[in-house]
Amino acid sequence: MTLPKFEYFAPESLDEAQQLLLDQGVGAHLLAGGTDLLVKMNHGLLKPASVIALKHIKELEAITYDPKEGLKIGATALLADVAAHADIRKHYPAIAAGAHETANVQIRNMGTVAGNLCNAAPSADNAPTLLAMDAEVEIKSATGERRLPLDQFFKGPGQNALASGEILTAIHVPAPGSGEGVSYQHISARGKVDISAVCVGVMVHMAENGCDDVRIFLGAVAPVPMRAAKAEALVRGKQLTEETIEAAGIAAMEESQPITDVRSSADYRKKMVAVLTRRALAEARDRALKR
Amino acid sequence: MEQFSIVGKDVPRNDAVAKARGAAVYTDDMTLPGMLFGKILRSPVPHARIINIDTSKAKALPGVKSVITGKDIPKVKYGNWRLFADTQDEYALAMDKVRFIGDEVAAVAAVDKETAQEAVELIDVEYEELEGLYDVDATTKEGAPAIHDYCPGNVSVNRKIEYGDVEKGFGESDYIREDTFEVHAVSHAYLEPCSALAQLDLDGRITLWTSTQVPYIVQCLLASTLGMRENDVRVVKPFVGGGFGGKMELRTWEFCAAFMSKQTGRPVKFTLSREEEFLTGRRRHPMTLHSKVGFKKDGTLVAKDLRIVLDGGAYNAMGPTATFLCGNFGAMLYRYPNYRFHGQHAYTNKPPASAMRGFGAPQSLYASEIQMNMAAEALGIDPVEMRLKNAQVSGDKIPDVATISSCGFKESIEAVARMSDWKRRRKELKPGQGIGIGCYSFISGGVFNWFNTQYPFSAAEVRAFSDGTVHLLSMASDIGQGCDTAMKQMLAEELGLQMKDIRITTADTATTPQADLGAWGSRVTLMVGNAVLDAARKIKEQLFGALSARLNANVVYEMECKNGMVQPKGRPKKAIPFGDVVAMVQKSKRGEPLIAHGYYTPRDKGLVTPAFGFGAQIALVEVDRETGKVEVEQMWTAHDCGTVINPKGVEGQLAGSIQMGLGYALSEQFVMQDGKTLNTNFLDYKMPTAMDMPPSAVEHIDTYEPEGPLGAKECGEGLASPTAPAISDAVYHATGYRCKDLPITPEKILNSMEEGA
Repeated sequence: MTLPKFEYFAPESLDEAQQLLLDQGVGAHLLAGGTDLLVKMNHGLLKPASVIALKHIKELEAITYDPKEGLKIGATALLADVAAHADIRKHYPAIAAGAHETANVQIRNMGTVAGNLCNAAPSADNAPTLLAMDAEVEIKSATGERRLPLDQFFKGPGQNALASGEILTAIHVPAPGSGEGVSYQHISARGKVDISAVCVGVMVHMAENGCDDVRIFLGAVAPVPMRAAKAEALVRGKQLTEETIEAAGIAAMEESQPITDVRSSADYRKKMVAVLTRRALAEARDRALKR
Repeated sequence: MEQFSIVGKDVPRNDAVAKARGAAVYTDDMTLPGMLFGKILRSPVPHARIINIDTSKAKALPGVKSVITGKDIPKVKYGNWRLFADTQDEYALAMDKVRFIGDEVAAVAAVDKETAQEAVELIDVEYEELEGLYDVDATTKEGAPAIHDYCPGNVSVNRKIEYGDVEKGFGESDYIREDTFEVHAVSHAYLEPCSALAQLDLDGRITLWTSTQVPYIVQCLLASTLGMRENDVRVVKPFVGGGFGGKMELRTWEFCAAFMSKQTGRPVKFTLSREEEFLTGRRRHPMTLHSKVGFKKDGTLVAKDLRIVLDGGAYNAMGPTATFLCGNFGAMLYRYPNYRFHGQHAYTNKPPASAMRGFGAPQSLYASEIQMNMAAEALGIDPVEMRLKNAQVSGDKIPDVATISSCGFKESIEAVARMSDWKRRRKELKPGQGIGIGCYSFISGGVFNWFNTQYPFSAAEVRAFSDGTVHLLSMASDIGQGCDTAMKQMLAEELGLQMKDIRITTADTATTPQADLGAWGSRVTLMVGNAVLDAARKIKEQLFGALSARLNANVVYEMECKNGMVQPKGRPKKAIPFGDVVAMVQKSKRGEPLIAHGYYTPRDKGLVTPAFGFGAQIALVEVDRETGKVEVEQMWTAHDCGTVINPKGVEGQLAGSIQMGLGYALSEQFVMQDGKTLNTNFLDYKMPTAMDMPPSAVEHIDTYEPEGPLGAKECGEGLASPTAPAISDAVYHATGYRCKDLPITPEKILNSMEEGA
């Protein structure tokens, strides 16, 4: 339970950070909130040669919202700030809920949404909603910049698409259109403060003749947050009746691939995929109809 | 209710400010010059013979000052049951075998933590692995390998109780039911992991600061394992962050810190990590309970036959006491005219189970309370009525145990039924909601003396000064339960002083009066409280004598201490300040300080306890019928702890009990595979958080325990029992799922509802 020795850098500009990352090479790790990184280091699971803190780079903190451009969450914006942000609560209630229901108060006051994504746990609370809303991540390095759809970002448990020298600088979420509704649902063994055993993010777009677009993402039931394509197919183009929603839940359950671990049995996870998908679809539909 | 001026008031706790400010010093906060850091090497395998241990690489590592294994230490076994030496089955470090994953094999002391860790990893141990046995069925089977050579068959303790005629009782019963219950292990999960710091004093003696509930027991057992005289070992308890029964034995790191400080001449500190605590720490006993119980048609209990097998893990620890107490708790709460108990404590290759809040009662009472509810349903009787019909009352005799001197059990049941509007709610809840009841009784300290001490069970010293202050010394261990405050309240009450007039020094075996058996078994309030009052009354005798002489008072006058004064009873005009009377006593004795010693040892109180606490609890739950998740919406509690010394303290005990009960019932468990605990942190060990706490209402039943100090008895552990059965019964009421194997998981509820549908 002692931190290994490492070099610590606290750059004040993104350029400086990118250069440091390049100079330090593969042994370097980025630090945003540190709520995952330092736990791993404390337990000897990770022994970085150097740690580059992003917290002193002002431009990475920002949360901005524009009715046309949508939402931008900076890499070091805290979970607590995202959960409490007035525009996010108003226009992206499911994103606010996901951030608010991540871990506990202490961690939300230190940890970041971007860090939750980069840590790439299959159970990451912030992933399913952002995936459902078609978010993109903004990635910068000393040599360039790219945007990547979030659904191409997760590569396996603890594995993300960042190449050596790259920094995830922001998360972009499109502006919610009228007729769109989003919901986040999760469950775990403990009552209120816990890591999710199953989580589900759903976005639906409701048109006059029913649901014309839907994205359903499931967390903690596969090596990466997974898209429930078969469930989506049952919903797309349909009125979201209780029967349709029920059938979609069952389809999602069938296509999920959970394992049994200390947090839940695979069997219970499957059952919960059905329940949570159904609840998320219903809530997303109801929200969509109100917009 | 008797009128008190300080007892019964919400007095702020003695330690509240220090803890709130972070100023309280715990063992791991302490640093001494030249201090070394200790680390334990633990067995990675569940069952093996040790063929060879090579410590040469570890010893050669710069900064390492000591590396010890079983070969280096005196071959002295220890255990709390000194009266029965064959139950003492543990060495500080493994001699020839390891018996669970985490068993202590070697220890290192080095100049810093990193070096100690590195050195531990450099020790090579060659094991010859043996078959690991993880449940009692496997270890008690004919021909199972012995986990301890001395104990073929692996049953280390057998206890039987029998009175009345059980078979005749069943013959006379109209309704008999037989059930098997399984209860699981949970962690004490105290916030402060174990820590010990030892120093070799200049004169060759040892001082040990340690996070313990039992300084005196640690002193005695440490002395015997080190081959020293008892009083050459001084044990000091600093602030302790909870124990719950998990810190009431001599433990390896306490021994190693002392042994290595003697060996190196430098202070040595060991502090366990949370992972070590979860992986290897003591835990509540898992048990299998077979209970057969017979009733008359009208619900009157006739007979009970209870057989329990305790899964003790690799060593006895406090298992013998738990086995003993299970038998007693099995016959508590209700009148069982015919009762038979057989308890067996069996070894397995798992971390040892030991004492944990309730000490056998949560398990034993889970079975009997659930079975009571099942019988009530079968007989068509309301569970509350069924309990009232059979409830124990003051004056009831329990054969070989005691006569119950005070008992507010019926009043508790009636009160909690009224508070919760039981009759209406039981019928009128919305779908998914349920309401259920659980009750408890618990001991106020044990009379059994297996530690075999020659000292009184509790002792106190009171020094009175002419400035109007007094100093209370006792070996009572405040481990967060608040006994320092309660003891000061009782002393202030008795001497007519204020809290600010009392200085307190506790739990230092070299300076506080010998002895005290520690903070466990809900014993401190009653036992140390009586010792404090005994000392205070001896002080008063002297004060009253001096005052009578000074006033030339008629010998028939009674005197009293009140409002900081000493006076003839009811005659404040004659009052003289407390401190002035102290000075008078001293002057009459050529300046001799005014000091009195008080003691308490239960006598003629049977073999179990001098007094019992009682209570009843009702839980209201809502179950999500799709996810199986249980939300506890409200708890109601009515209980009898005799005189309430500190109401806020009692409410704190209740809140803590509910929190532990929620975890025991619903979420906490060790996930184990082949003897290995897999969930070794608070992320995956699902202890309920503050966010999970339901609203709670409480009523204290007004009773006065004649054996207790100012009428008080226990409230610390009894309340740990009713929450799980109350929630379980409410879940049954809501869903039809009757849990006979704890914990109640959402998955079990869903599976049961699917089967029912």
